[in-house]
Amino acid sequence: MPDIITCFKWAVDEADIRPQASGEVALDRVGYKISEYDRNALEAAAQLKEAHGGSVTAITVATPAAKKGLKDALSRGPDRACFVNDAAFDALEPAQTAALLAGVIRDRLPFDLILCGEGSSDLYAQQVGPRLAQELGIPCVTYVNRITLEGSTLLAERKLEDGIEVVKVELPALVTVLPDINTPRIPGLKDTLEASKKPVQSVGPGEAGGEFPARLQTVALRATSMERRCVRFPADDAGIRELVEALRKSGAIG
Amino acid sequence: MDFRLTEEQELIRANIREFCQQYLDPIAVEIDENSRHPQEVFDRLAEMGFMGMPYPQEYGGAGTDFLTYAMVVEEISRSCAGTGFTFSCHTGLGTGPIYEYGTEEQKQKYLVPLCKGQKWGAFALTEPGAGTDVNAATTVAVADGDEWVINGTKTFISQGTFADIFIVFARTDPAAGPKGISAFIVTKDNPGLKVGEHFRKMGIRCSQTAEIILKDCRVPRSDMLGKEGNGLRMAMASLDNGRIGIAAQAVGILQAALDESLKYASQRIQFNKPIGRQQAIQWMIADMATDLAAARHLTYHAATLKDQGLPYTKEASMAKLFASEAAMRHASKAVQIHGGYGYMKGQKVERLLRDAKITEIYEGTSEAQRMVIAGNVMR
Repeated sequence: MPDIITCFKWAVDEADIRPQASGEVALDRVGYKISEYDRNALEAAAQLKEAHGGSVTAITVATPAAKKGLKDALSRGPDRACFVNDAAFDALEPAQTAALLAGVIRDRLPFDLILCGEGSSDLYAQQVGPRLAQELGIPCVTYVNRITLEGSTLLAERKLEDGIEVVKVELPALVTVLPDINTPRIPGLKDTLEASKKPVQSVGPGEAGGEFPARLQTVALRATSMERRCVRFPADDAGIRELVEALRKSGAIG
Repeated sequence: MDFRLTEEQELIRANIREFCQQYLDPIAVEIDENSRHPQEVFDRLAEMGFMGMPYPQEYGGAGTDFLTYAMVVEEISRSCAGTGFTFSCHTGLGTGPIYEYGTEEQKQKYLVPLCKGQKWGAFALTEPGAGTDVNAATTVAVADGDEWVINGTKTFISQGTFADIFIVFARTDPAAGPKGISAFIVTKDNPGLKVGEHFRKMGIRCSQTAEIILKDCRVPRSDMLGKEGNGLRMAMASLDNGRIGIAAQAVGILQAALDESLKYASQRIQFNKPIGRQQAIQWMIADMATDLAAARHLTYHAATLKDQGLPYTKEASMAKLFASEAAMRHASKAVQIHGGYGYMKGQKVERLLRDAKITEIYEGTSEAQRMVIAGNVMR
């Protein structure tokens, strides 16, 4: 009966992002959600628990504003949550997040398996999972789209560019999952209502240990824009040559 | 008044929205065209605990407040107003009276399966000659030993074709006028109950509307709902409750009209720019967004009063009146913004316009709402 930790990030909901007429992207009116692939990790944890028993703890490192995400995460199956929060955590880079997670997990949360999404919906750096495994000194399996658990052995199918690799790993281990692994459940009404009753362990400012000065700075955020032009070419050989030349000049073809 | 939603309410709204996008949006055109009741959607809603949601857990509900329920009706209706109505009509009119007026035995027998979504409820009040004038009802129930024998015809009964449990209103004392009407629980397996044809409608076409014929329909005395002669009062109170559901349905239609209009106005290029840059379109959208906000506030206000145990008859009527008329006005504007494309079958705004009309009619016409409101403010 494995004790599973599943990590999630409370990220900007990309559906709410609207570019301004100036091309700038303002994030002051956007909503937040559990990062897309982390929902797959939460679902994978819930399914493993349904099949094998054990426990699931959801953990996130964020600013106190991410408190809203805890109920959302808890409505998706975990038994409890751990909320590592500090107002200073608003621009963490992946190495810092991994170090914070590792510190809290090492000190407070016994585990057999850690599940992470392959990458976050915002940065998609794909670093927190592998770095966390490195910090904890445990094996890490990435790009996983299928998990089978047999006792303390985990079989994972890795979806790679040129095929599927099946690896066997002894627990404790860390796995990062792809969206193909499952379809995350939509929590039912009772799941949401019961989420409020589940315990949340809060690791507040200063309790996580270490200094985490902001190293990431967003200098600018601009939307890509599509330029529309209406140019007419005659439908003859010369016109076609003109069209090809125009496309080449604009860089649309090589 | 502050309607900031709780974290739970926000999550429930996000979840039902995701559910509708995944399971309802893809079939909405088909169930409208074929007048098909999407039972598969309701099976999932039942599994997720949404059917019977505002009733206590001991009766199979989820024990949420009425505001949360109204929000869910709104979100389902935003996707498909017919499905939103079936959900609201079953939960409000089809289930509510048994919760409010049923004996403990009736609650265990009928309310529990209704709340769990295992059985469907229907509210059989309207008759061919008794619409807004409910007291003109001619269906009669005559006592015979341990039973009541009901004879009459009910029409425009929602969920009529597949409901398991009907709440039927019939006159038990012809001399007593409005105080001579009583309510009965009649199950579909009763040999005296026949379901007539399914009416073809302009809008909310996936909702199943039928005529119900009661011929020497015998029900045990134990299946009278509430006190003898109290039927009309119960019906009116149930309609107050139901009106919040219809107001929420209209708010869902309004939201969908705005969603579609915003999308189209930013995509449709005429005169080398999106039509949304034209002031003519901007003004329509501004009015739509303003009426949507007002309709939503009135609806949430009425639901909040009900949650607080305060009188809400007038507020429910105001919410239903304003939201339904705004839905009709702006569904038409949404078609206008879409131009010729909006008039074509398969476009959501075309369906919204057909669906909006009924919200001005059922569970009390706009005129009936104005009677209720005037009666409350002029006394």
